[in-house]
Amino acid sequence: MNAAGRWDAIVIGADVNGLVAAHYLARAGRRVLVVDSRKAAEQRADVGWVPPQVIRELSLASHGIQIEQPDPWIVAPLAGGGRLELWRDVAKSAQSIRRISPADGARWPEFCTRMRRLAGVLEALYVQPAPDIESREIGELLRLGALGLHVRRLGKQTVIDLLRILPMSIAELLDDWFENDTLKGVLGAAGVWHLRQGPRAGGTAFNFLHHHVGSPAGVFRPPRSSITQILTAMPGVEMRWGAEGAVVAAAGTATGVRSGSEALSAPLVVSSADPRTTFEPLRPQLDAEFVHAVGNIKSRSIVARGTVNLERPADFKTLCLAPSLDHLERAHDDAKYGRTSERPYVEAVATDGHLDLHVQYAVTIDQALVERVASALGVPAGQVRLEPQAGHLYHGELTLDQILFMRPVPGWSRYRTPIHGLYLCGPGTHPGGGIAGAAGRNAARVILRESKRS
Amino acid sequence: MAVLYDAIVIGGGHNGLVTAAYLARAGKKVVVLEKRPRVGGAAVTEEIFPGFKFTMFSYVVSLLRPEIIRDLDLPRHGLHILPLESTVTPMENGDYLAAWGDHDETRRELYRHSPRDAEAYDEYGRLMHHMAHAVRPILGMVPPDPTSFDPRDLLALLRLGRHFRSLGAERLHALVKLMTMSSADFLDEWFETDVLKATKSASGIIGTFLGPRSPGTAYVLLHHYMGELDGVFRAWGFAKGGTGAVSEAIASAARGFGAEIRCDAPVARVLVKGGRATGVALENGDEVSAKVVVSGLDPRRTFLQLLEERELPAEFVSDIRRFKFRGSSGKVNLALDALPSFTCMPGVGRHHRGAISISPSLAYVERAYDDAKYGEFSRRPYMDIVFPSMIDPGMAPPGKHVMSVFVQYAPYHLNGGWNDAKREAFGDAVVNTIESFAPGLKSHILHRQVITPADIERITGLSEGNIFQGELALHQLFFLRPAAGWAKFRTPVRAYYQCGAGTHPGGGIMGASGRLAALAILGDGA
Repeated sequence: MNAAGRWDAIVIGADVNGLVAAHYLARAGRRVLVVDSRKAAEQRADVGWVPPQVIRELSLASHGIQIEQPDPWIVAPLAGGGRLELWRDVAKSAQSIRRISPADGARWPEFCTRMRRLAGVLEALYVQPAPDIESREIGELLRLGALGLHVRRLGKQTVIDLLRILPMSIAELLDDWFENDTLKGVLGAAGVWHLRQGPRAGGTAFNFLHHHVGSPAGVFRPPRSSITQILTAMPGVEMRWGAEGAVVAAAGTATGVRSGSEALSAPLVVSSADPRTTFEPLRPQLDAEFVHAVGNIKSRSIVARGTVNLERPADFKTLCLAPSLDHLERAHDDAKYGRTSERPYVEAVATDGHLDLHVQYAVTIDQALVERVASALGVPAGQVRLEPQAGHLYHGELTLDQILFMRPVPGWSRYRTPIHGLYLCGPGTHPGGGIAGAAGRNAARVILRESKRS
Repeated sequence: MAVLYDAIVIGGGHNGLVTAAYLARAGKKVVVLEKRPRVGGAAVTEEIFPGFKFTMFSYVVSLLRPEIIRDLDLPRHGLHILPLESTVTPMENGDYLAAWGDHDETRRELYRHSPRDAEAYDEYGRLMHHMAHAVRPILGMVPPDPTSFDPRDLLALLRLGRHFRSLGAERLHALVKLMTMSSADFLDEWFETDVLKATKSASGIIGTFLGPRSPGTAYVLLHHYMGELDGVFRAWGFAKGGTGAVSEAIASAARGFGAEIRCDAPVARVLVKGGRATGVALENGDEVSAKVVVSGLDPRRTFLQLLEERELPAEFVSDIRRFKFRGSSGKVNLALDALPSFTCMPGVGRHHRGAISISPSLAYVERAYDDAKYGEFSRRPYMDIVFPSMIDPGMAPPGKHVMSVFVQYAPYHLNGGWNDAKREAFGDAVVNTIESFAPGLKSHILHRQVITPADIERITGLSEGNIFQGELALHQLFFLRPAAGWAKFRTPVRAYYQCGAGTHPGGGIMGASGRLAALAILGDGA
């Protein structure tokens, strides 16, 4: 490594995966600089599973990480008045569901168990690089075999469920199990999170399970944590806010990043930015096939995020306004033709003094949408603020053709890139967004292993 | 029970006939029991109006397995497939997109719409050709059971894994994309001309309850290239005498091998003793016994109608119950006194010898799907039109024509249910839509037959009118067709087999299910 330089590695992006990668590298003795174009760290909670390996290996518990999963984890208004509340306690939820549908209440525990088992398979897949099905290396083949064995040991039903459910639509999956619209709306919403697809689209059952990862049986909203805040404050890496980072490479090898007019050099660059943004300045050095593949990444923003200022505390922790699968489907129909939903799906999470909003499907964010959201929530429009969209939150939709060894682009799922010394570690890589820190950790481990070899 | 047969085949659809022919060819004593007065199931040709013959339900042949044509020597039994060489898509602005039998001509036509797409077209064709190659062996194999620890299954899975790995990275990735993407998204990666993408993706939605933007529709794009690959005929073909002639040819081959075929012989149930099928009871009370019973009906009828539920494991029954049918297509058959003239290509021309695709834009086809999603038939449906009398003059009286219109979407579960008024309203929507592309059509219509999914179910028995005996969705394919653990043509009842399109690989006039079932039965030493 370049002993003369100030840094061994520069990480682009101080979001959760960038920071996780930075701290893993720092822990291995590397001098790491993190650059981020934002002025300062945001105070927003991270949504998604924090793998226990990350918590343990970076001693996040001793730094005071908070992981929160509200109870009840969701509240949804019922068509005839009253509301459906779902709890962490499976039996308590079953009871609450029984009031709207005895049949659904009876099936709830079994559904929760089956889904939990599948999410467990995904968790195992997510804390390591995506299986490389083309590999001829004996180590990789053994790993593939072990994975297959792991799944088969979970029993015949799990194998069948995996094969059958992953390509399904969330609507079909839920129709197999339940009859009540409110319940199916609440669950179906998790299946379309950050997808430009409706609940009847194949692969939304996978998306549903992806967002179940890290939650206990019967909780179908990801936990929220303070991991980014903790990592930002943790010593060990140098942070530079308000600093853009564009990768610089010469003859196919990364040499550092350009930040405004300043050139920062390091032999290793790790980007948690969107793959498309990362590769943009490098186009002349990349082959056409690769550029084409990066251009084909589907990452169509479809979610508006925002806040509602509250005058008095909300009487819920998470409120879901997606009254049925048809409601979600119709909201998506608008987006399919390039329009923002007339009646969007809105989810609100109460934090101190305000609500965090997730509004889908938002194609353009304008006053009309603000008013629709306000009327859905029953608050004055003046209290609703929607942020402009800043690209797809996951840097690539989690559709079946963009996961595992297909993410971010086919053949480059191992965090490596065609530019020597440049690695990716953001949500655009396996296992994708909605998982806090897994991509960063996987990437850092690959980097450390490979640098040991060379 | 006088005669003991080696095998009874329930249902004389094309797959049942293929199974019967293969069993008879192996020296088995076989009887086919068909409820209707003629064989063919959904592949029948009937003279619906005096002098006008229609292939009532299905309409084109493209996937009939070449090994079946060869093994059963079908051309000798009257199978004659005429090429359907072009596809013309009229556009709403009066222009059109045409794909002709001649590759260079198609390329020139495409160039007119987009030079870039004309460039991409060849490369796309090459990729699809390779993909079809990659998938072909799967159509001819019995699906291994991924949940079994039987060494034969493990070996088959391993071999399958090796096959895919041998494709190389690039093709493997393309295959994953084809299996998981929507046809619209997949085509977006290649082309920019909307009408081209619409017409290509329309072939991806045939027989499904999905739209061109629904994931899982891309792999059907391969079908076009499969036919070409096998070298039997280029792209889509039309059987002389209609698709009924395909059934007749297979039936004739079966008879030639010694099989007996009984029409007007509806089966009421399968007789089971001690967990083993022993024969069938006909609706008229007669019983026929055999060593093996094979059902060519769809999974719902094969298991839930012909058997008592207690004869099956509960888990299997619930798997079959949730097997999705949801018929989504209808058919309008028109008898005409003259060919319609399309605004985009006035007069009578060679385009009448090919298919006319009513798929002017992706949004058009997607909107047609939106209607169906919420339980209505498409107000402006996607249609695939052919004029069989132009290819085979025997289909209509001299100077007159028959027009076959495959229509999607017509959902089986229509709001309020299908009735005579709804059927006519659906027929009107079809005719009015075509009229907008071919003004004057209405004045040429002598007779009109409108077939809804409810009609298909009533006449042929196909559950929910699904022409593929169950949706061709990823979770209902290969080792999941019709249910996990039961994709090898066997059933939980010993000596009872399934051979319809509800088994792997299913769908289309392909005959592969029928052939594989026969091989499985023979392999079990029946």
